[in-house]
Amino acid sequence: MDWHLLGLSFATVFLSELGDKSQLAAIALSGSGKSLRAIFLGASAALLLASFLGVILGEGASQLLPTEWVKTIAAIGFAGIAIKLLWFGEQEAESEQT
Amino acid sequence: MVSVKSSISFVTPPSEPSTFANCPSPEAESSIEAPPERQSENSSQELPSESPPEVSLAKELQIFFSTFITIFLAELGDKTQVTTLLMSAESHAPWVVFAGAGAALVATSLLGVLVGHWLSKRVSQRTLEVAAAMMLLTVSLLLVWDVVQA
Repeated sequence: MDWHLLGLSFATVFLSELGDKSQLAAIALSGSGKSLRAIFLGASAALLLASFLGVILGEGASQLLPTEWVKTIAAIGFAGIAIKLLWFGEQEAESEQT
Repeated sequence: MVSVKSSISFVTPPSEPSTFANCPSPEAESSIEAPPERQSENSSQELPSESPPEVSLAKELQIFFSTFITIFLAELGDKTQVTTLLMSAESHAPWVVFAGAGAALVATSLLGVLVGHWLSKRVSQRTLEVAAAMMLLTVSLLLVWDVVQA
């Protein structure tokens, strides 16, 4: 086991991910969502699979998947959740007040 | 704290031989002050509800998959994936890189979830929802910006 490489990859990824998009998304989702466990598991599984693909596919990943489209879909997904929070959250707040 | 012990009040206690101090007196076991307790009243006592309201499994799965899909798509082709990709290609030890990167990603998402949970206890639900929506919109704008820049 190459502990130096393990520590290096951990530190690099940890520092680059701190305060990054996915962590912001995790904060936002867990603050609004009901189930912390589901969000933690979902975020972890997604990140693990993404880095797993990065390791397995190597440089082929960028050619296999059109990242522009994938990112656009993700952007639409996040925007959809945001609109859902703004819109349906307001309705829930109103229904709780009445 | 204003309690200042005056040295005058120091009175030497009567120094009795402690050999018989622990000897139980026969009158100490009087059962007059100990009526039999009623167990029925304690059984109906409600437990403090610390656990969050129950979320159904279907709802939990829905949260899981929406989180999974959005974050997975957002991370594909992101700089973390590029980093792990380059490191595994350089080192020829992809599994070590994957272990390190995976542990780091789990740690950051755990931190994120904990920060969100901590915030949700202090900020009102509605404020937090608006803030979360703004954050998610920012994330989607960042993603669009990535696409435009590329």
